Amino acid sequence: MSMKALDVVQLEVIRNALVAAAEEMGVTIWRTSRSSVVRDLLDYSTCVFDAEGKSVAQATCIPVHLNSMSSCLDDILRDHIPLKEWREGDIIITNDPYSGGQHLNDILTFKPAFVEGRLVGIAGVLVHHLDVGGGAPGSYYAGATEIYQEGFRIPPMRLDDAGRRNKEVIQLLLRNTREPANVGGDFASQLAALDIGVKGLHRIARRYGPDRLAEACLGIRRQSEMAMRAMIRDIPDGTYSFEDFTDDDGIDRDTKIRIAVKLTVRGDTVEVDLSGSSPQAQGPVNCTRNMSGSGVFCGILMSIGSEIPANAGCYEPVRIVAPDGLCVTARSPAPVANRMAIAHRVVNAVMGAFAEAIPGRVPAAYYGVSYAYATNLFHADGRRQVYFDLTCGGWGGHPEADGANGFSCGLHNIANAPVEMLESTYPVTFEAYTLVPDSGGAGELRGGCGLIRAFRIDAPAGTLACNFDRFKTRPYGLAGGTPGAAGFAELQRADGTVERLPSKVAGKAIAKGDVFRLVTAGGGGYGEPSKRREEAIADDMANGYLTREAAAAQYGVKAG
Amino acid sequence: MQPTASPRPVRIAVDIGGTFTDIEILDETTGQTFAVKTPTTPDDPSEGLITGLRLAGEHVGFRFSDISALMHGTTIATNAVLQRRLPKGALITTAGFEDVLEIGRHFRKQVYASKAEPRVVLIPRAWRLGIKERTLATGAIETPLDERDVARIAERLKAGGIQCVAVCLLHAYANAAHEQRIAELLAKHAPELDVSLSHEVSPEIREFERSSTTVLNALLMPVVRRYLERLRARLKTAGFEAPVYLVQSNGGVMSPETAALLPARLLLSGPSGGALAAETIAQRLAMPDVVAVDMGGTSYDVSIVSGGRTRLVTEGNVDGLPVRLPMIEIRTIGSGGGSIARVEESGRLRVGPESAGAKPGPACYSRGGTEPTVTDANVVLGRIDPQFFLGGAMRLDAEAARTAVTGRVAEPLKLTPEAAAEGILQVAVSHMAGAIRLSLFEKGLDPEDFTLLSFGGASGLHACDTADEIGIGRVVFPRDPGTLSAWGMLYSDVVHALARARLMKADGTAIPNLKDICAELRRAGAERLEADGIAPPEQLLPIALDMRYPGQAYEIQVPFDGAAGNLDAALKASIARFHEVHEAQYAHAEKHVTPDIVAVRIAATGKLRKPIEHAFAFEGSAAPKGRRKVYAAGNWHDTAVYERAKLAAETKIAGPAIIEEAHATHFIPPGWELTTAPTGDLVATKRAGGAA
Repeated sequence: MSMKALDVVQLEVIRNALVAAAEEMGVTIWRTSRSSVVRDLLDYSTCVFDAEGKSVAQATCIPVHLNSMSSCLDDILRDHIPLKEWREGDIIITNDPYSGGQHLNDILTFKPAFVEGRLVGIAGVLVHHLDVGGGAPGSYYAGATEIYQEGFRIPPMRLDDAGRRNKEVIQLLLRNTREPANVGGDFASQLAALDIGVKGLHRIARRYGPDRLAEACLGIRRQSEMAMRAMIRDIPDGTYSFEDFTDDDGIDRDTKIRIAVKLTVRGDTVEVDLSGSSPQAQGPVNCTRNMSGSGVFCGILMSIGSEIPANAGCYEPVRIVAPDGLCVTARSPAPVANRMAIAHRVVNAVMGAFAEAIPGRVPAAYYGVSYAYATNLFHADGRRQVYFDLTCGGWGGHPEADGANGFSCGLHNIANAPVEMLESTYPVTFEAYTLVPDSGGAGELRGGCGLIRAFRIDAPAGTLACNFDRFKTRPYGLAGGTPGAAGFAELQRADGTVERLPSKVAGKAIAKGDVFRLVTAGGGGYGEPSKRREEAIADDMANGYLTREAAAAQYGVKAG
Repeated sequence: MQPTASPRPVRIAVDIGGTFTDIEILDETTGQTFAVKTPTTPDDPSEGLITGLRLAGEHVGFRFSDISALMHGTTIATNAVLQRRLPKGALITTAGFEDVLEIGRHFRKQVYASKAEPRVVLIPRAWRLGIKERTLATGAIETPLDERDVARIAERLKAGGIQCVAVCLLHAYANAAHEQRIAELLAKHAPELDVSLSHEVSPEIREFERSSTTVLNALLMPVVRRYLERLRARLKTAGFEAPVYLVQSNGGVMSPETAALLPARLLLSGPSGGALAAETIAQRLAMPDVVAVDMGGTSYDVSIVSGGRTRLVTEGNVDGLPVRLPMIEIRTIGSGGGSIARVEESGRLRVGPESAGAKPGPACYSRGGTEPTVTDANVVLGRIDPQFFLGGAMRLDAEAARTAVTGRVAEPLKLTPEAAAEGILQVAVSHMAGAIRLSLFEKGLDPEDFTLLSFGGASGLHACDTADEIGIGRVVFPRDPGTLSAWGMLYSDVVHALARARLMKADGTAIPNLKDICAELRRAGAERLEADGIAPPEQLLPIALDMRYPGQAYEIQVPFDGAAGNLDAALKASIARFHEVHEAQYAHAEKHVTPDIVAVRIAATGKLRKPIEHAFAFEGSAAPKGRRKVYAAGNWHDTAVYERAKLAAETKIAGPAIIEEAHATHFIPPGWELTTAPTGDLVATKRAGGAA
């Protein structure tokens, strides 16, 4: 019996045990956390790293968290606290985008597991905290021009030092948030989950022995790496370029921001060169290098590798190139809170480049922004309530299927808030929550429709903040398909006047009777519209996804 | 046993599954039970049911006129949804919200897929009809119903050949006036339509889940009504007059009349019988904390009995569609006898979730399957006897199993066929163990306190190994594992679950409202039980409150003594209980915060007479029926094979050993010891320091 092959079985058993440990950490956070961002939007991730600090198993639903923990730990080990200085009972913490983090709300914590004095693995937990200070509730300040306006920064440091907790650090953080009870509670869950992860690693290391665990972790990474290389090998060698744009940075509203991808495939490796992208922006749409990395990997996995278990092995065949100081490699102190405006575009551009390389396998562009808005509502008795929400749009047409209507895509994967729950909780009344006809790009396989979310303000007064995009630059079509419709937002004032809003809004005054209406982008179409099946067009018309006028304009359907 | 002249009252439970119809017969005089299995007749399951009942009558010795009650578990509703055998339906909803049913919660499961996972939408956009009206969260009406709109819609429905219609308006749980008025107008303009109203089917806040449940109910009304009509006709022809009860997803039963109006309550009722059986066995063995596992061909179900009770959850889903109704909590993963083992290009050995199902099935079924499955691995290792599968009902091709395992797994991995087969089982066990651990973990429970209960035909082959993997030291193999689900149904009660969703602060201001709602729910519950022929002494009318801290999105259910004279004190007790449960489940409580009440519920229960426990006697000998070679832990072992029915009382058997019975095979690995319990169950315990 070959010993090496026997390990394949054990490797799979150990993989399942490591995934279970990551899931147990995730369940712990869900079970014990306090705020709705964590409990309902599920904005957290857990990860298990091997003794070299490489990720081997994760429990996450949110792609933007992919790579973010892994690359953060890489940065910490390289630039701040090398592995040989980690001791049993340490907890390393950071939220600093310029030390491996992504934006200040995401606090990352890592705790090593030792068995008989030997490091066997590291548990990692990332939680999006409700508020970390800065210029706006929730720390999404669209008017920021430097990171100091966005909240408190924690450089990589020891929260626990060999088992001794530095409690003053927690006091300092809680003094700087608008939501000390929520953040304090969520933070306690985050730390409890780390302990569960370490316990899981102890159990696995004792059961299989640290050597075998290390071997299995290497094997798990190798398998993902090999699967990734095999997928890349199938792509013809060459250089493929694509660019896409973000509307603006919210400060300078006249300048589009370019995200350029030059994808070079050589054998079983890929180089993603982002050097042609715009310089870093004044407003808070910038990405750090790690943030752009998340977008690149999301784009790659969506293009070629959705089945591959995501771990550090996936990153091995990929090299990301770009000088510092671009919007995708921002330098301190550039603001980053609304980084998703550019990060989604990185995904769009990477997928566009893959579409050049492997035509017929990659869909047209999805809506491409996490539509985040917050209303701060002032009640007559002086009480204030923040209603924060996120929504999505249409998927791009896929070579084998129409794009999905109104469905989370790309870096974004968040559940909506039910209208009945919102109306029971906040002084708002919804007028519509429907799909937008004709918003999907035309094509043999059409783009998915965007959404309308419209509600009336019932509180005496308040303010509105928006972090949107794709109002000017539309989601592209492919292979002859046309772009999806752009989105827009408007305020219909109580007196009936209608005011168009820009995509980024910081603190606009609103009042009782105003109706806020957000229309999100549809996905791009795929293939020549003239090739669309007649039954598909008729079906879309019968179901009102396509109006008679648009059918005539987009597909040449004659009236009658 | 021959039919005798004297009446012999029997209660019968029938569980109609995809392949077999399981029948349990309880002799109400002696407490003895008998099990019968017959093939299911998928086109009209009532046919197989009658055939099975006849067979059981001949076998056990009773006449149809001896039957006192028939408990009927059916997958007819679930299957109609899964196979889309549904009539043409429509949805009437508040104008501006017609797409709620399609948009859903817009959260995806396949995170990196470039083609969106299919979203099931049972009513196309053209038949989702908006109507001008608006009710607010407080129940106040902002825009009155446009009645001419309803008349117009009724004409459209008739012209379009629509058979059934769901009505789900925003905030109808808070004020049902508009839904009721629409129903009246539809009854006038289109009386032949089946109509489901959201406030009657699932009076719960959250519009998408309520719509989804109401739509399912509407589409199932014609399907279930037709089935019940056929069943009634067949039973009548056969001379059957006893009451029939249908098993719901919450573990209770309901009358056919209720089922015809609320067929969504039949969805996902499959595990109810098993959960009732688990509760009953836990009680019989005085083991209040058990994990019940049931392994079938494609899936592995885990349910937890903690403190003697299974848990209910407030929502399940069928084919991704939410069903917002109380149901037995169950975790299902895609691990079964038919799970396929594959070696990927990267060298990874994967087992499941792809399944060979029943067709083509495992390679050893000789139905065209060529990929190795978990069942094939068991055959290669000698754990399943190819001559005695399903008690000999089906012959297996051991050579085909070996060929599949060798060609697809052993050779690519350069392993012996035995090592490959054992590897397949180890990977499958690690999946099952992970599912159990997570089910316990998310409730804050420790595996070491639990006993594993092995249900179904295939679970017993892996139960001890799975227990080992999670640190459980005791495994119970109950009697008649292949028909346990039907047996559990013998213990069910009639349940009408009713609810009123109403957001209130849980303090003195809520008392007048609570008083009214409780009185209304108790009256409604009692009326329904009365209609089922259940007299007041057999009625239980417990009230519960769904509570949460303000701003939370999930609720905890706590009992409320709604019948008490002092409702203030009763509410205080409920609040105290809420804080306590919150602390236990979520590790913190905020005792200074006044919680919200989100809904008031009643589970109006009509107690049915419970079977008497029949004393069990093992009357065989300790001798094995034979020996065969079984491969475990890297070696072949000369292993004793026992027939369960022929075991003696107080037998002790050291592993490795195989126990066979009509519908199941159990494997006791080295390091485990099996004993016969006086209850008729078999109990395996891990020997201290025993090697796995």
